[in-house]
Amino acid sequence: MQLGFLVDLHLCMGCKGCEIACKVENEVPLSTWRLRVKYVDVGTYPETKRTFTPLRCNHCENAPCERICPVSALHYLENGIVNIDKERCIGCAGCVMACPYGAIYIDPETQTADKCTYCAHRIASSMMPACVVACPVEANIFGDLDDPTSNISRYIQDNRDVQVRKPEKGTNPHHYYVGASQVNLNPLASKREKGYSLFNNITKLPLGGHH
Amino acid sequence: MVHETLAATNAVVTLDVAIPDIFWGWYVTMNMWAKSIGTGLVFMLFLLLRKNPDEMKGLRTSTLIVSFIFMNIFLLFTLADLHQPFRMWHIFFYPHWTSAITVGAWMASIFVALESLMIVIIFFKKDTATYDKLLFWITLLAIPVTLYTAGIMAEATARELWQMPTEAVQMILAATLSGSAAIILLGGSKLSDETKQFFGAILGLSALMAFIIYMSEYIFGAMKSEEVAAILHYVKGDGEYATMFWVGQWVAYILPMLLIALARVSKSSAILNLAAILAIAGLWVVKHIWLIIPQLLPLS
Repeated sequence: MQLGFLVDLHLCMGCKGCEIACKVENEVPLSTWRLRVKYVDVGTYPETKRTFTPLRCNHCENAPCERICPVSALHYLENGIVNIDKERCIGCAGCVMACPYGAIYIDPETQTADKCTYCAHRIASSMMPACVVACPVEANIFGDLDDPTSNISRYIQDNRDVQVRKPEKGTNPHHYYVGASQVNLNPLASKREKGYSLFNNITKLPLGGHH
Repeated sequence: MVHETLAATNAVVTLDVAIPDIFWGWYVTMNMWAKSIGTGLVFMLFLLLRKNPDEMKGLRTSTLIVSFIFMNIFLLFTLADLHQPFRMWHIFFYPHWTSAITVGAWMASIFVALESLMIVIIFFKKDTATYDKLLFWITLLAIPVTLYTAGIMAEATARELWQMPTEAVQMILAATLSGSAAIILLGGSKLSDETKQFFGAILGLSALMAFIIYMSEYIFGAMKSEEVAAILHYVKGDGEYATMFWVGQWVAYILPMLLIALARVSKSSAILNLAAILAIAGLWVVKHIWLIIPQLLPLS
């Protein structure tokens, strides 16, 4: 079994329901995020368009975070999920430095690394991840990539514009996007100006650490 | 290359979380800087033993103790940088050998244990023969201890600026630069003028090679990778990071090279000492800026 995620950006309307569901389900502390939806505006008025991109851990087949973790706190589950053992983590932040997708953070309450686990605890109980359940338009498609009859496999077969983030890094992500452009997938393809973010007065998130 | 399309698409992030702050800050700089001096001194001690064993007499104990102190500074800052420092023992009981952090922690621990043993041997037993034999093995061990941080930087896939083998070469050069500088200062009157000039030459050549590599990356790095181009943008032009970058290059490399040339002509130990002090101080700035800038880039 190889679990994977696909987001159909044609369907996503940026409601942030997945983001909130994730926060609640996993009790993600303030100023940290396992899943977030990024808004990027494209074009010049009146020809403008707003794009939405849910961003979470890619659960890479060749995960740099797993490789760099000195104590195997980050490890693969049999179903392909890159999971984290917070009791073992020493908080070296090696994984934070290694993840090309900026998907890992230091939990300010436990002082350990944390990230999206595809809701591994829910999957163990045969439930879907919280973000999948919360999505009102079924833009999040989750399932077994090894099963050709699964929803996600059929979606990949039926759509030609299936992409991953930063394929050049050789991480082989198990998180796919349909209907994405460079603006969605490449952080360097958009400008990031102060004063236009969710936290107008915050330009740097705190580390959640001791220094 | 997508940034060329920015003007056409006018793509602007309008709603998102803020970018995370710098995770590996000056604690990690201290780690790299102190380790360079610690292992660099061992390299220089070994060279001195091969080149002129007679001059080892007054330096066996003092050099090793200074190296030991800097290795402990390195370990202290490594530990302090952990968010869960009391779980450090996990590295020894749950080691994950694909991680350069694990390999480095083990190597550095063995290195410091061996240094402790050598200090006991020379300080209490005055056994120079055993000390000199062990010096060969600790010098061999100093190579991976010096290099492992480059391995960590290479495994930090997200930070395109840190490449292997460039970082490995820079780590070795940092060790030879700071090690030669430290032994010049420690040697004082115990080293002959000829030996001091020898270490001065090592310092100067290390500075020259490191400077050439940094300049190569500064000029050519941006031509092959979009991310490197975006990172190097922080040290080009004006701005605080550009200032810090050039202060580091001048203090660590350019000025010491000029001063060493001057010291060779004038045969002045004072000028050589000044070059050594500048190299050690400047190395901290060079390492710090190279550590910081890749962390400024948004990854998602």
